Amino acid sequence: MVDAFFLLFEWQNLLFLFIGTALGIVVGAIPGLTASMLIALTLPLTFHMDPVSAVTLLIGEYVGGISGGLITAILLRMPGTPASIVTTFDGYPMAMQGKAERALALGIMASVVGGIISWGFLAGMSPALARFALQFGPWEYFTLVLMALVMLAVLSQGSLTKGLLAATLGMAFALPGIDSSIGQARLTFGSSTMLSGFGLLPVLIGAFAISQILRDAATPQSSTTMAIPKKRLPIYRSDVRYAGKLLRGSVIGTWIGLLPGIGANIAALMSYSTEKQLSPEPEKFGTGHEPGVIAAESANNASIGGALIPLITMGIPGSVTEAILIGALTIHNLQPGPLLFQNAPEIAYGIIAAYLVANVLMLMLMWGTVRYIAQIVRLPRSGLMAVILVFCVTGSYAVNSSFADVWVMVAFGVIGLGLEFCRVPLGPFVIGFVLSPIAEEQLRASLMMSDGDVTEILSRPYALLFLALAILTVAWPYVFARMRKGENAAKGESS
Amino acid sequence: MIGISRRTILATVAGALSLAMPVGPIGAGAAAAQDFPAKPIEVIVPFKPGGRTDVVARLMGEKIQENGWLSQPMAVVNADGGAGANAVNRMQRGDDDGHTIVHWHHQALIAMAMELGDFSLDDFKSIGYTGGGSPVWVVNADSEFQTMEDLVAHLKADPRSLVEAVGIGTIPHFVGAMLAKEAGFETRYVTANSGADRLRLILGGNADIALFAASEYLAQGEGLRPLVYFGRERLPDLPDVPTAIELGYDVSWANPNWWLAPASTPDENVAILADALEKAINDPEIIEYFESNTLQPYWTPGAEAMEDATKQLNALKAIAETIN
Repeated sequence: MVDAFFLLFEWQNLLFLFIGTALGIVVGAIPGLTASMLIALTLPLTFHMDPVSAVTLLIGEYVGGISGGLITAILLRMPGTPASIVTTFDGYPMAMQGKAERALALGIMASVVGGIISWGFLAGMSPALARFALQFGPWEYFTLVLMALVMLAVLSQGSLTKGLLAATLGMAFALPGIDSSIGQARLTFGSSTMLSGFGLLPVLIGAFAISQILRDAATPQSSTTMAIPKKRLPIYRSDVRYAGKLLRGSVIGTWIGLLPGIGANIAALMSYSTEKQLSPEPEKFGTGHEPGVIAAESANNASIGGALIPLITMGIPGSVTEAILIGALTIHNLQPGPLLFQNAPEIAYGIIAAYLVANVLMLMLMWGTVRYIAQIVRLPRSGLMAVILVFCVTGSYAVNSSFADVWVMVAFGVIGLGLEFCRVPLGPFVIGFVLSPIAEEQLRASLMMSDGDVTEILSRPYALLFLALAILTVAWPYVFARMRKGENAAKGESS
Repeated sequence: MIGISRRTILATVAGALSLAMPVGPIGAGAAAAQDFPAKPIEVIVPFKPGGRTDVVARLMGEKIQENGWLSQPMAVVNADGGAGANAVNRMQRGDDDGHTIVHWHHQALIAMAMELGDFSLDDFKSIGYTGGGSPVWVVNADSEFQTMEDLVAHLKADPRSLVEAVGIGTIPHFVGAMLAKEAGFETRYVTANSGADRLRLILGGNADIALFAASEYLAQGEGLRPLVYFGRERLPDLPDVPTAIELGYDVSWANPNWWLAPASTPDENVAILADALEKAINDPEIIEYFESNTLQPYWTPGAEAMEDATKQLNALKAIAETIN
């Protein structure tokens, strides 16, 4: 391990890590462009690098890409990557209240702490954690995602009905495409374009970025109400009080990240809802509450460290980004898996070391530049939106080189605008869209496995635990209200 | 953006090279070679980047460009989605003179057998196979089954008692179903849409059987036990794993790297592409990549490849009928 750090500090490896992280932040911050696109784009360049440099470049891009998303999520309410959807919930309201620098500062700190804590898990207990994660089968995945879906309802307590309506609509849009449980087309109306269904990226940037652009176009000069950041990024000594929240968010992020196929966006959502439920003042979440930003950003960065655990110990990629990382290694005739530590320890430990250093570099880069980047809100809105629109269109097209995806993006921009107009929240809409395919596939896989026997869940302790938590999540507000009532009544009697 | 910018870069590089280098040999018979390719060749890969099909396409393209086996570079474009329909649509929108080609594998035949996209073998002209690989069927290393015979005996005594991790309508599903039909047993399925999912399920004990590329199995080392190999002959890296044919089941599956052009592409342009690809697959560095990933490097000319694919498609259609 120590050797790996020394190897990393060879100037060219450090340089590649730096370039990767910087590129990642830029791409992550731009709505429409994601870390996985950047990695796919630089993949051919790594053919001619030595494997350690290739890996450091890609890890830097990965870490930077997830982190950069918070900038636009906070300043413009356009999540730069799917991982920062949840960051918009409190980050953007903070920016609207003139606390943009504060939100950015907290987001960056939380990202770095999340990264470093999950690095501790990655470096210290990878094999044990990977073995633990492997026990999770379809039942566990289903109940876990069910829990996340239920938490959505909690998130939208402001108007439960509208929140649930948004989530249900999102779920409905996830239905068309090839039904992976039977391999047949579903709701495609005979169109071969519809076979791919609606892509996550076009839907995400449609609903958030395009709808915002359309709204801006319709409201002359109204969006300039946002305060312009000019001071230094403020972090106070009293912020030590957030230590517990940071730790909680990072641990949740790492553990969710451990599960292949469950992404950084779900990690952020879980962390955010947990924080809200534990909070003595849950009503403040969604209105620019600092712990909201901390919960989301610590968890989404921590989930990368978590996701690297099954990747390096078992060769199981947790996301598209990691699948490309594996591809990059196979080009150098390295197969990720348990044998990597024996066959190429410099790579296995190099990934672990690079992940830590990338987090530190990310802190330096973002801390040093974000004050200037934040000035983008000063730019003329019309020009800024035009540039973002260009990126949104290219990004949507680039995912699958398909122009149909661009039209999907535009359509979801209009849908997003309509939903906002009816005061239906966009967060639950997009998250419902992301979660329901996983929930459906895993439930059906569970039932295939058990030959349709639902009681099989009784023999799966973790699944039962998640199910119980899900039920508790729904029931808690009512139970809580009743308990309080009971308490008051008791007080009334005694006095 | 990926496609466009890479293509732009490549085009710029190619432009600069063509200025710097003297023009190639001029003479009789070279007319076609000079007209084609006239611009970078777009290679559509119907998958996300990073998988085997993508990596092979990129490596072959690099090698061809490095050696100047084609006068223009090859630019890989990933068009995932819709069981390949997205890629086929893109190919049909592009040029039908060899400047737009597809690099796929036999998942294409499964999509045709399942009648998913509205495309068939008639839409393509086969350029050729550049090598390929066969998969293994594995169980968890802690499994009670030491050999394929144990497993088949168990499943015959107690049908549907074991869980097989497959993506419905994908290669693992069809290969497993061919073996099951031939040997007369039946398993239960659990959906697993990627190699990563299958690995996760089998290592965690949530599935009993799964299909893997031989290289995926070898990378795991401990933890998995291979029972049967689906190649025609034993793999040198797995000398102790019998083939299905040896065990008396007439099932084999080789998944080739298949290069395809639109059906109306002129034969002479296909021949130019085939020539470059054949040279690339015989390159020592490419051979090294193939061998260390338990793929066999070989060249199968277009017509022969198409004949093989047609035969395979008919077998798959028979299986597809029993599945639905």
